[in-house]
Amino acid sequence: MPGLIAKSRGLLLPLLLIGAWEYLSRQDAAGAYAFVPLSTIGAALIEMLANGELLVNLLASLVRTSTGLALGIFFGVLLGASMALSNTANRLIGPLFHSVRQVPMLGWIPLIAMWFGNGEFSKVLIVSLAAFYPMVLNTYQGFSHVEVRYREVGQVLVLTPWQRLRHVLLPAALPSMATGVLHALAFAWVTAVGSELFLSSGAGLGNLMMNAEAGSRMEVIVLSVLCIGLCGYLMTLLFTLLSRHLLRWRNIR
Amino acid sequence: MRIHRLLSSLTWLISPVALLLLWAAVAEAGIFPRNLLVPPVQVWQTFGQLSASGELLEHLLNSLSRLGLGFGIGSLCGLLFGVLMALSKNVEIYCAPLFHTLRQIPSIALIPMFVLLFGIDETFKIIIVAKTAFFPVALAASEGVKAIPRSYFEVADVYRLRWPTFVREIALPAATPPIITGFRISLTRAWVVLVATELLAADSGLGQMIEMSRQMLRIDVVMVGIVVTGVIGFALDFSFRQLEQRLFRWQTR
Repeated sequence: MPGLIAKSRGLLLPLLLIGAWEYLSRQDAAGAYAFVPLSTIGAALIEMLANGELLVNLLASLVRTSTGLALGIFFGVLLGASMALSNTANRLIGPLFHSVRQVPMLGWIPLIAMWFGNGEFSKVLIVSLAAFYPMVLNTYQGFSHVEVRYREVGQVLVLTPWQRLRHVLLPAALPSMATGVLHALAFAWVTAVGSELFLSSGAGLGNLMMNAEAGSRMEVIVLSVLCIGLCGYLMTLLFTLLSRHLLRWRNIR
Repeated sequence: MRIHRLLSSLTWLISPVALLLLWAAVAEAGIFPRNLLVPPVQVWQTFGQLSASGELLEHLLNSLSRLGLGFGIGSLCGLLFGVLMALSKNVEIYCAPLFHTLRQIPSIALIPMFVLLFGIDETFKIIIVAKTAFFPVALAASEGVKAIPRSYFEVADVYRLRWPTFVREIALPAATPPIITGFRISLTRAWVVLVATELLAADSGLGQMIEMSRQMLRIDVVMVGIVVTGVIGFALDFSFRQLEQRLFRWQTR
């Protein structure tokens, strides 16, 4: 019982905030405009679930994120591994990669929008770039920080380059690559929503929010923000559990 | 030998120079319309004009002052809150659940909501930058203070150190490295979010310059803006890294 009380103390502040929100919404017209009453938010949630608005936009954002993520991870692993395994590739591509990386992801949006329009292609391109950077960095780190004794075992056993990659380098690099995917996932999700805010064409949570902002429908924005936060959290959680399960063969000190 | 080393250090330049040459060649060949693919020389000239007229500097100063104000407020509040959360059990019990929930919501997704709440004036931009800066610093401060080993406190007890001496001689050196790292992460994130915010809603600043020139199809100005954004982001990150190394040379990790 005391444990339950201790846990419920953490709920006090959120409840107070929600109470303050509700209180402000009942004050005057200006308050009701910015802080919509909870009942309105609830009604909007039921309405958006019933007519599928929330689900359609959420699915569109998720599809965009996963397409971009898949592309970004694929090319990121390719580039990261080649930069780590070949000194020439590292010298040739490294400087270019690190200088391009400095530009904030969302800064590319205006340029990409002018070149490729504001359709699906631009958005997926931006999301995949966002997933690409952390993937390259972590893959590079994973492959270049393989313990020397593992490499030596590979030399002693006279493994072919392919066998060395498959049995020595790849297993050693996997944990770092999993971290890369975790970062890529978070970046891809944020960037997908961000790109939808800028290029509001088609479906998507960002687009839903932009339309709600134009129509000053705070309840829709609140629901979208909650949805974005929850989905981001769930994706991170799921992937953490999945990677822990997949990498369970690793003996952790 | 020296010439050899000089040559091998020059290989770092190959890919950026190759990209520039390729870009110039394709732009001059006239395959794409000249106003869509601007030759690098013209971008350079535009950069010269913008900096000579003081336009670029004005936008840059506007952006940087916003960043300074928002980051200052956000990171100081974050530092205070993080230390409090690490030192007081009560603060942690009451605030930690709310803190970790709010931490999940990406700043970009909050832009539409904050626009409705605070309007599109200066306040809104400062608040969103401060919010972005707050969370990484608060997290790093709380983890950093919590990570001070128990034995340090015992040593302080044995020597009967007074509280100010303990803070100055033991707690501060032990907790500062992770906190500085938190500051660095939060500064780079705040910069990204600020540029994104200016792209969406502003009357001055680098982001606004990019967005305005996008609407007028001045790709050269957009490119200048993107490059300057990248350089500033890199400079901020680099200077903090230097600071980290300078301050913590004595560490043997």
